[in-house]
Amino acid sequence: MEMVNLTINGRSVSAPSGSTILKAAKDVGIDIPTLCDHPSLTPIGACRMCTVEVEGQRTLVTACTFPVADNMVVQTESPRVVKARKLVLELLFSERNHICPSCESSGNCELQELGYRYGIDHWKYPAITKRFPIDATHRYMFLEHNRCVLCGRCERGCGELAANHTLGLGNRGSDSIINCDAMTPWGSSTCVSCGTCLQLCPTGAISDKRSAFMGRDTETERVKSTCNRCSIGCGIEVATRSNNVLRIEGDWEAVVNGGRLCENGRFAPLFESRKRITKPLVKTGDRQTEATWDKALSTAAELLGSVGGAEIGAVTTSDATNEALYLLSLIFRDNLKVSNVGMVNGAVPVLPGLPCGSLQDMLQSDIIIAAGVDPVSDQPVASFFVKRAVDLGARLILVDDKENELAPFASKKLGINEISTAADIAGEAASPFVLYGAGIAGDAMRALAKLGDKALFLALQPGVNTYAADALGFNNGFTPKSAKVLFAQIGEEGLTTGHMLAGIDDKTALIVQASYQSPLTQRADIVLPATIWSERKGSLTNSEGRVQKVNQAIKPQGEVKSDWEILSLLAETLTGKPPVTSLEELSTLAQQKITNKEI
Amino acid sequence: MAKVKIATDWLGGCAGCHMSVLDIDERIIGLLDAVEFTSSPVTDLKHPPKDGVTVGILEGAICNTRNIEVAKMMRERCQILVALGNCATFGNIPAMRNLVGTGEALKRAYVETESVVDGLIPASPELGIPVERVTGVDKVVKVDVFIPGCPPSADAIYFAFTELLAGRIPEFPPEYFKYD
Repeated sequence: MEMVNLTINGRSVSAPSGSTILKAAKDVGIDIPTLCDHPSLTPIGACRMCTVEVEGQRTLVTACTFPVADNMVVQTESPRVVKARKLVLELLFSERNHICPSCESSGNCELQELGYRYGIDHWKYPAITKRFPIDATHRYMFLEHNRCVLCGRCERGCGELAANHTLGLGNRGSDSIINCDAMTPWGSSTCVSCGTCLQLCPTGAISDKRSAFMGRDTETERVKSTCNRCSIGCGIEVATRSNNVLRIEGDWEAVVNGGRLCENGRFAPLFESRKRITKPLVKTGDRQTEATWDKALSTAAELLGSVGGAEIGAVTTSDATNEALYLLSLIFRDNLKVSNVGMVNGAVPVLPGLPCGSLQDMLQSDIIIAAGVDPVSDQPVASFFVKRAVDLGARLILVDDKENELAPFASKKLGINEISTAADIAGEAASPFVLYGAGIAGDAMRALAKLGDKALFLALQPGVNTYAADALGFNNGFTPKSAKVLFAQIGEEGLTTGHMLAGIDDKTALIVQASYQSPLTQRADIVLPATIWSERKGSLTNSEGRVQKVNQAIKPQGEVKSDWEILSLLAETLTGKPPVTSLEELSTLAQQKITNKEI
Repeated sequence: MAKVKIATDWLGGCAGCHMSVLDIDERIIGLLDAVEFTSSPVTDLKHPPKDGVTVGILEGAICNTRNIEVAKMMRERCQILVALGNCATFGNIPAMRNLVGTGEALKRAYVETESVVDGLIPASPELGIPVERVTGVDKVVKVDVFIPGCPPSADAIYFAFTELLAGRIPEFPPEYFKYD
């Protein structure tokens, strides 16, 4: 990388050629204030907070957009610069409502921080007090135009990160407002509720309805973890207060999603209305009664010991952690010699020997084939990357026999029997990317395999931890029919659908590990209550095969335990000794087995 | 040494800043060796003495003509005028009525409020007339020291007193400089 040498505040600094003054300064710990800039967005130099003095330049320049050059001399806090920044702040404060005590964002506000930094102790200019409306039509967020500084971060996030282009700037001059779909109420706009704008807003203009006024950052705790809503495995940051989850935010530093989340990951987990199971339940006669863990586990061990391995079945959903899947296999396959061990939903067969790409890689591709996969509804964050790549000039070839929500973005739509045409077109491209899913199989996949020497491939798994379940041998045609005793690990999934229950014989003894009440838990002989996403520890493996940590954000409700903890105790009850001594040991064992999977 | 004379008064505010002055607790005893509180809303003397004080402190925003009179009298009778709290410095919560307009705000408060029957907007000649636009004190008189905060912390106020007694215009460190 070509480096240039410059001086910032009298200090010699080396920075890569093409980097901005802001980036060069930040890298050596010189803090230049910003407002409209965000590391994940294209800089636009709109707010003028980052203005600096560059020797030889006629005017002050914006550090966020100005590229460094050899021998450049920069001053970031000279009297001229500070005077300009104060003027910018005074002008910002002279419009709309920036009265802190009644604002949701007071204490978490970038404008407020800047006011403090530059000692704004009164407002020089009389404020323009034109009143703007509040748009509270959205289910999860409200848009308070009176608090808006028009930095455009929300708009750029909507376009560049979610690639949804719902938000835009409307009107002119001091009447300018952020608006949805050319002045449509937010709640009835094309917004996909990903909340990227919420996470980007520097002031109190966009706020989360659910957690508004529930505590500023200094009063909350933050835990990084991994989303468990689909197989993308987005990095999340969970904000909690007094053992309550306030908000879920995208982790800007996460490699997989770079801060993006979808409605399902950001908002849905906080609107859960199902009833939790908080204590172990054991059926006596026709009634389930609360029991101690000892009682529940010993009853389960007795049930499992009362029949031979051939009469036992064990099934899991893909919600389970790597650790739980590893132990489930250990207990049932190795200890109890059960062969009828499997998972509820299938996995996408991953073609062997093909280079695996990440969602970020898609942004560098020129042709994307989406085959048998509909990320818009199933893995929305993946769809943001597809749509962004299309915005950046990539062409999308959609291969599917079903209706697919990516269709409006595709330049070509083909049936699955025409997949070799797609492969031929992509073969002409410089860097094709193949995104495929459960909708294609055998022959169709082999047609794509010929792109192996130049394309990157990503199989989007249908379930959260399907990759790990598949790697640990759970994708083998489990059938509940032959089981006299069935162990079902369903975690948070709501198996209210007929298919699991339908296959279970009325006489089958049923042990269910679950977080929420469902027809399956009501039918069970023993119910082992499990933690939900915010309470559990462990790890998950995403569609790329990336093993990511799940961290506990709040203490578990009642007597519930993590899925692997329940299985570890069950193993101990069955064999007399615990299978592992610590979570770390277990995680390592599970990870070794998952990543050693032959692809 | 003669004691430094201080007078305080309030305009359109909630008295919270005066509570914060009292919140300096036992430190006020030491302070009284050096200063004399002449007039304030919590003393018998309500108006700053005619022969003047060194430091005048005003809490609250300029909401009506009466506030303007009080602010002007304080300015005339003090050497250093302190705007104490967000209302005096920015207008703050009272200034949020600017977003709807004074007429609209009065109607909502005195006529349309759910608990009111046959409400009337007060119009007694002894009352100040509401101004069209609520502002900080500096928009009607010159202010020498601004102490933002809603309210400013007792520590910030005590810091301001000690700095003024030392003959300096206070420059607040970050922990004392807050808008809420």
